[in-house]
Parts: sequence; C-alpha cells; structure tokens
Amino acid sequence: MGESDRGFSMTRRQLLRMIGMTAGSAAMYQAMSGLGFAAESPYKAPLKVGGAPKGASVLVLGAGIAGMVAAYELRQAGYNVQVLEHNARAGGRNWTLRGGDTYTELGGAIQHCGFDKGLYINPGPWRLPYHHHGILHYCKQLGVPLEAFVQVNYNAYLHSTKAFDGKPQRFRAVKADYQGHVAELLAKTTQANQLDTLVSKEDQEKLLHSLRSWGALDKNYAYAKGELSSNRRGYEKDPGGGLSGHPMPSEPFALKDILDSRLWQGLPVGDNYEMQTTLFQPVGGMGVIGQAFARELGPLIHYNAKVTAIQQDERGVTATYEDTTAPGVKHTASADWCVCTLPLSILGQIPMNVGQAMAEAIAAVPYAAAVKVGLQFKRRFWEEDDQIYGGISYTDQPITNISYPSTGYFSGGKGVLLGAYIWGLDAMEFTAMSPAERVQRALEQGSKIHPQYPKEFDNGIAVAWHRSPFTLGCFAQWSEQARAEHYDNLCQFDGRIVLAGEHASLLPAWQEGAVTSALDAIGRLHQRAAAAGATA
Amino acid sequence: MKSVNAIAATFIAFAALLLLISTPAFADSAGIRNDASLKTDSGAQIYAHICQGCHMPNGQGAIGAGHYPALARNPTMSSASYMALTILHGRRNMPAFARKDPGDSESESFIDPVWLTDEQIASVINYIRTHFGNHYKDAVTAAEVKALHP
Repeated sequence: MGESDRGFSMTRRQLLRMIGMTAGSAAMYQAMSGLGFAAESPYKAPLKVGGAPKGASVLVLGAGIAGMVAAYELRQAGYNVQVLEHNARAGGRNWTLRGGDTYTELGGAIQHCGFDKGLYINPGPWRLPYHHHGILHYCKQLGVPLEAFVQVNYNAYLHSTKAFDGKPQRFRAVKADYQGHVAELLAKTTQANQLDTLVSKEDQEKLLHSLRSWGALDKNYAYAKGELSSNRRGYEKDPGGGLSGHPMPSEPFALKDILDSRLWQGLPVGDNYEMQTTLFQPVGGMGVIGQAFARELGPLIHYNAKVTAIQQDERGVTATYEDTTAPGVKHTASADWCVCTLPLSILGQIPMNVGQAMAEAIAAVPYAAAVKVGLQFKRRFWEEDDQIYGGISYTDQPITNISYPSTGYFSGGKGVLLGAYIWGLDAMEFTAMSPAERVQRALEQGSKIHPQYPKEFDNGIAVAWHRSPFTLGCFAQWSEQARAEHYDNLCQFDGRIVLAGEHASLLPAWQEGAVTSALDAIGRLHQRAAAAGATA
Repeated sequence: MKSVNAIAATFIAFAALLLLISTPAFADSAGIRNDASLKTDSGAQIYAHICQGCHMPNGQGAIGAGHYPALARNPTMSSASYMALTILHGRRNMPAFARKDPGDSESESFIDPVWLTDEQIASVINYIRTHFGNHYKDAVTAAEVKALHP
C-alpha cells in the first residue's frame, strides 16, 4: 500500500510534529485543539530566541494584540522591529474606558468618561475563554492578573417585553421549568411505550431514571410544585433556622407559558464552547493586556502614526505615514519584511502594491456593526436589591443584555454595568444616534428589567464601533462564501508582506484569533527570512 | 513527501472545519432578537436610522485612520445605479443590503443579516441625490433597483 498507509499508522504525536513542520505553529496549535491535546501541552513560543538572520528587520503595522504579539516574538528572535500605531495608545480594540478618559468618535462627538476610580467598561473584547491558550499565555508572561468572568448567573434575568407581562424572570426558574417539563413529557412518552422502536426496554429504565434526575421529577415522574422543583427553581420562602425556618415551595410556570415566552432562547448561551466556565478577565479591565504589551515593547512603538501608503520591492517594504499630531509631513519607515495588522476596513483604503488575490481578499469583507454602552449607577442595586453578582441578563430589546461586573462585589459606592451590547440593524440605528441618545435608550430599555435605573443613574458612555476612528467597524464579518473564496489569499504572503489580526483567523472577533494569526504569520515570515538569509 | 503533505493538508482542513462549526458562538447569541429590517419607506428615515451612522448626518463623511466617503457634493452620486449596486452588494467595508436567502448560512446567523427592500433602496437613493447639496432630477424606481439583483 506504500507511503499513504504508512502515514495513517503514524502516532498522533508524529502527525502533530509533521503539521508543525509543514504548516507552521498556528496550524499545529489548531490541530492540537482539535485533538484535545492543547490543554495538556505547554504553550511554546513560535521562534527560537536569537534565531533571526543577522540584521534582519520587520515593520509591524498596528499595535493591537496581533501586532504586539508579532513584535514581541520577533524582537525576542533577534529581528529589528518597529511598530506604527494610529492611536496615542497601544491595544487597538483591546481597550478599557475608565474615569478621566476622553473618547472622540468619527463625526466629532467627544465623550468624557465620568466613572469613579476603579470602574470601567471594555468597549471591545471582555472575556477570555479558558481554552484561548495564546492570549492567556501572554497574560501570564506579561504579569497581567486574571480573575473569573461570570458568564452564567442563575439569579440573573431572562426578559421579554412580550412575556409574563414584561416582568423579568430568573434564569434559574426558566431553566428548571423548561427542563422539568421536557423531562416529564419524555418520561410520559416512554411510559406510554411510544419510544419502543427507538430505545430498548432496558435502556428505557435508565432513561426514566436519568429524566427524574435531570428534570427534578417526583416519584410519579411529574414536574410539580414541591421540594424537588424548588430546589432547582428557587423557593417562595427559603429554608432557614428555628421556628420560622420552614421553607415554602414556589409554583412552577406552566409548560405553555414557558414555551410562549420564548425565554428558553436565552438558556444555552453558556453551553457554547466559547462561553463555558471558566472564563477570565484581566483585573482592572481588558486594556491592561494592551498596556502590558506597550510597557514591554516601549520605544519600538511609534504612536499617532497614520499609515497612508505601503510599498514593497524585491529588497524590502516601506510604509509612508503621517504624525496625526503634526499632520502634513510625510514620514517613512522601512524594513526587510512587513507584518500588517491594520483592519481590512482601513487597509482597503491604503495604496499598497500587492497582487490581485490579496487585494481582492482585502476588499471582500465588510465590518460588523456593534455598540456597547457603559452605565454608572450611584449604588450596586443589582447586588443589594436583586442579589445578582456578575453574570448577564438577556432581553428581547435592542440592548440585548445587561452585564454585571464580575469584580468588586459587595463594595460600597458606585458601580458600572455594561448596559447594552447591540448587534445588526439595532447597532446601525444606535450608531446613527448621538452618544447621549444611545445612553438614554439604554437607560429606558434597562429600566424595564431594573426599575431602579432612573433613580440611581449617574453617568454613561457609548461606543459605536462603526464610529471608531481606528477601525471603522467592530470585526471582519466574513460570509461563508467570501471565506471560501478569499481567506487563504488573505493569509498568504504577498512578496514581503503578510497580514495578521482577527480578520485573518477562524476565530472572528476574538483576541485569540489575533494571537494565533500573528503566530502563524511570523512563523512563515521566519522561514522566508531564514531562507533569504542563507542565500544572501 | 507528497502523500505526507496530503495527509497533513486533510488533517488541517478537518481541524479548521471544527473551528468553523464553533464560530456561531462568538458573541451573545441569545437569539431572542430578530428584527432585520426597518419598517419605513421614507428615504429621510432610512438615511437617519442607518446611513448616517457612517456617512454622518449631513452626508459629510468622516476621516480617521481610514475614511467614510462624503455623499454631499460627491460626483459619484450622479449615478443612481452605482449607488444601488453599492447598497445592494456592498463595497469593501460597506455592508450589503440585498435580502439574503434565509437558509443561506448557519455561521452568520448570530447577527441577523440586515436588508432593505427595493422600494427602500430607491427611496434612500432619491433622498440622498436631492439633499446634502445634491440636485439630481432623475429619480430611480424600485423596479430599476430590482433589475440590479444578481
């Protein structure tokens, strides 16, 4: 059978090593994740320390996560690295708004963040899944302290303006009732011998047993008011001590009410791989990661540098840029190679001599609309009144959710909620509003869930990503068709230029996509540079 | 070596496929919210609710690291069909507003595709071409927009 047979008899470890050699470390990382190996395998830097050809240089465009990962690793390997960044700060979409910050969006609206010390919102990414090994590695490496991000909170709300007279319901009750009723139905179906053709008699017994456990059914396989169901959905009166401690069970909702409410749509969010426990957040805000990278890279980053042209020839790459604090003068930066992490929304407008395949790929992807609103309140009423500590409430209103801070529990004083995270048409409509109107709408909608809003509101800030001067959008919204047609062409080297960023990844909008795409790109860059160095 | 590479390529494609399947989870896809189109045919309303997010309230556009083109006094506005094609199919960063086949794609489903009817597209084009310093007299019809669908 020859070679191909031999291939199949390889061990998985051999296969992984081979993928690592032929396709670069990021492919290996992906393959490892697919096999469930990544967890047990220590993260490895892609390039050897000091492995760069003597004198080789790299120009990195953009000091977001992708650009700074590339710069960090390339410098470690011995390349001469410089980074051009449009903003006056590093991080890009890795960004935290804190009290005292000022944000000017496209169109000129200026917002001054009035949050108290220590309070913040993350306009961009805000969660780190435990299996995003790359970004977590850099947090550890750079000394960024992490804490748990609460995604699922059983005491948070599911809310629909069209169900239960607009009264929000606890996640716990909706989940218990949905699950309990479904379990009861399936148990009845089994007992009526309607599953006989699908499940053996022996397995039916096990199924019934499991349904009782899964759905909190009583001994008659009914989901009914009582100790069992209240232990899932919550009590009318909790058990306590002494003579007054007798619990009172709560009344489950009827199946029809649960189904009609459509609140079951909010149940599986935390079941998605990216949302499964444990998630993390940096202490002090997501932007702490970008700040840590900036500290590490120091003078390598040129801030306020607006790239206006990218030209390559057989010897190197030159970027033309303007200092946004002193416009009108052209500067240039040159290197042997270029890792370009500018969002496609920006890059597509910059003259750059690459081939048709990459040019078409850059032009093929629109950027998603998204809006986040941060709201500061005079007290943490969600904790004090509603006993909600972290987690997310979901609603059918345009704000889609309210996220409670996963930090600073029980602290007196003010608190900041993420009061809106808006997508699609709603995001476009919110983008078209003034910042003050966005905040006002978020307040109106949020007060349907928390009537404390009007009395306790202090100040707010709203970021509409299509108005962001440095991205002109939230993230690359690949269609399946565009990905099939253009993704590989986007990621391929073109001469001396390679692109990186979440747009050049299969983890759109996640920082892990930026990290892994940067590692993949510099792995290939290094191979080329080493080959060129050997022939020079 | 050839067959070894072929196996590696297959394997990588498989790993990539796993990742693709997992992508719908990348944001808060609670899925309770389903509005995907504006309930108005007024060009002024459509402009104010969608277009001005990027092209700005007076059609003046904006400049940052990149730019949004101004629609005010922009000679490109002389071509209504260019505008219709841009709105229907998108152009670079600008999203497409043609109605998509709902059964089209699972991985895009967490953000409902936003779409406009041919009437709405004609209406907003006619609005833009008669405002912001533009004075074009030739109005475009929904039928003409419809003819530009793929």
